[in-house]
Amino acid sequence: MTSVIGYYTTQFGELWEKSFSDLIEESVDGVLNNSFMDKREIDAIFFANMLAGVLENNLHAPSKIAEILGVHIPIFRVEAACASGGVAFHLAKNYLESHPAKTVLVVGAEKMTDYSPEETTNALASAASGEEQEAGLTFPGLYAMMAQVYLEKYKYTEEHLAHISYKNHYHGSLNDKAHFRKKITVDQILRSAYIASPLKVLDCSPISDGASAIILSSDKLLIAKANHKAAVLASEVATDTISLKGRKSLDEIFATRIAAEKAFNHSKLRPKDMKVAEVHDCFSIAEIFAMEDLGFWKKGSGGKKAKERVTMYGSGNDLIVNTSGGLKASGHPVGATGIKQIGEVFLQLTNQAVNRQVKNAKCGLAHNVGGSGGTAVVTILGN
Amino acid sequence: MISPVKIWRRQKEIRSILGKKGKILTWSIIYAAGPEFKKFAPYPIVIVELENHQKATAQLVDYDKDDLKIGRKVVAILRKVREGGAEDVLVYGIKFKPT
Repeated sequence: MTSVIGYYTTQFGELWEKSFSDLIEESVDGVLNNSFMDKREIDAIFFANMLAGVLENNLHAPSKIAEILGVHIPIFRVEAACASGGVAFHLAKNYLESHPAKTVLVVGAEKMTDYSPEETTNALASAASGEEQEAGLTFPGLYAMMAQVYLEKYKYTEEHLAHISYKNHYHGSLNDKAHFRKKITVDQILRSAYIASPLKVLDCSPISDGASAIILSSDKLLIAKANHKAAVLASEVATDTISLKGRKSLDEIFATRIAAEKAFNHSKLRPKDMKVAEVHDCFSIAEIFAMEDLGFWKKGSGGKKAKERVTMYGSGNDLIVNTSGGLKASGHPVGATGIKQIGEVFLQLTNQAVNRQVKNAKCGLAHNVGGSGGTAVVTILGN
Repeated sequence: MISPVKIWRRQKEIRSILGKKGKILTWSIIYAAGPEFKKFAPYPIVIVELENHQKATAQLVDYDKDDLKIGRKVVAILRKVREGGAEDVLVYGIKFKPT
């Protein structure tokens, strides 16, 4: 069985003193140190990144990583917008299934804060269709249009969305690697400025720098001697149209439903077996869609459940969601996000989540989405 | 620079949508835009289902606040959609206005 045997993440945030390469190097050194491993034990690397080519004219990352590490192993770059990390992990798992008894690194990194918000907004819009870009539609705008449909169809208000950000900021206050460690009130969220109506600044995940790394192995001896390990029970990817207008429905992420169904079937588990989940909350509405489309909540009940804060740490309920703070508070360095999500589930399952540790977490799920739902990845880890 | 070839390819599609009526499926007002659209913000964008069930995403113009609602009837019109440098070609495309 393929298992995660190590995880490290850099601080997420505005990291002025760190370059793209510095972030990659810190995450790789960090995960090797955490796992008491040497780079010579790594057989391949999967690297997730979205924007370096667009923002800093920086491509051919595999060879840059080879230079940083001084290795000659196969290194692959993976891009699927905000789902780059989840897809890299999926490809790494598949690689191990065709190369038995090997060990790979999965690294995700993004450097976003060297640029103006307009430049980054424009770069992120590269994950939308040509028509959407030409209309001046932004990434928050795409989710705003879906939120508009959801709020009207199920008679919810912007306040229902605000409770997602409230919860995730509380969780972020417990995570020393999070971009934002400040709790916020529902009133502050509702009074924040619109980015794309009905979504406001405090409904949106931030622009962050950061890198995260995981060690994944199918080497039984190495797994047996690892201090911390969690088995990969499922990793499934699904896709959908890049254009929002091409979707069957605007109040769901259909690709999430497909990936989730496959992941639960493959692992022979059910949503209620999950004790922790890191879901893709790039915007408050996105966590509501995720919870419904993953099968945790009934379609249309998400606004009510969000307001009841049923997945908040300390609620005593069976499922706690986004203990890292989610993308909202932990930050969203695009390429790193999918790796951090799986890493946070790993920390929970191996009892390393300290002040945000969920008791008796045996199984957990990570859910990573690219663009406005053109790619979705569902990963299930268990012990 | 705005590519004239890309515009030429795109305009073949525009012709088939112009003048068609439809209704708003969803909308948003964009407040934080990229560099090219910043000077126009805030501006509304709509996804419209046309009478022939074709769908299109574009800005809404000549509107009142009350027009921004799901189901509102609109018509596709030709408007300038992008503005490059002084040497660039002007880019015309689809926008919608309430009927």
